[in-house]
Amino acid sequence: MTQPRFDELIHAPTRLSIVSLLTATDWAEFKFLRDQVGLTDSALSKQLTTLEEAGYVDIRKSFIGKRPRTSVRLTPHGQQAFAGHVAALQQIVARAGLAVLPESAQT
Amino acid sequence: MDVPPIDAELALAEVRARRAQVIDANLVPGWFWPSVAVLMLLFVAAVETAVPWVVATGSILYAAGLATTIVAMVRRSRAQVRTTLIGAHGAAAIAVFTLVLVAVGVGLGFTLEALGVPAPATIACVPVAAGLAFGGPALMAYLRRVMLSRPLAGTR
Repeated sequence: MTQPRFDELIHAPTRLSIVSLLTATDWAEFKFLRDQVGLTDSALSKQLTTLEEAGYVDIRKSFIGKRPRTSVRLTPHGQQAFAGHVAALQQIVARAGLAVLPESAQT
Repeated sequence: MDVPPIDAELALAEVRARRAQVIDANLVPGWFWPSVAVLMLLFVAAVETAVPWVVATGSILYAAGLATTIVAMVRRSRAQVRTTLIGAHGAAAIAVFTLVLVAVGVGLGFTLEALGVPAPATIACVPVAAGLAFGGPALMAYLRRVMLSRPLAGTR
């Protein structure tokens, strides 16, 4: 069972969105993340660099033909941190007796 | 850090919404199923005519059409949904869907042939094509439900 561990780095709204997208993927293209979260290239780069420095994401640059492609994936360390963060959020909600949304997805 | 419960609930809602976004972006699009169904039906009908130029034309059109639809799908894919989200239920649904269509097509085809019905393969392909066109989107809807019901962070 995942130990609840609130992660302030992940909890920042933009990074929570990015990590939530990544946790549902094996990998995602930079452009996909940019479009889904609605950030500029530079803003997304900044957030990804923060996550990369924490060891939460892995950024790979490759070429498809002549086109450069940047893909991002959550590292095992990032997955663990995210799982702990979600468990912490669920614990906070459960303690307060909140059940605002249907939860079929408890860790 | 002291996080108010409502903020925690909103953060969890954000996690769910983002996962739904990924799943919706990755599901096979609706146009794929009828496209493949029509291509398959035309291919089988062409082969069954046994007229060399019809078989050749049908085969080329089938290969080109299938390649085009697959390339179009691959090109729109900009993220790979985590395979563990599909799970055993999702994999079983895909397997059952495929096996049922194959069994219906092959079974009906041989039965019609044994009964001496003309163009048995083409006729047998009609319910398979209908199964693809209507069952494909239903399968996608089921897989979506399966993936959304997985634990938020415990799928690995």
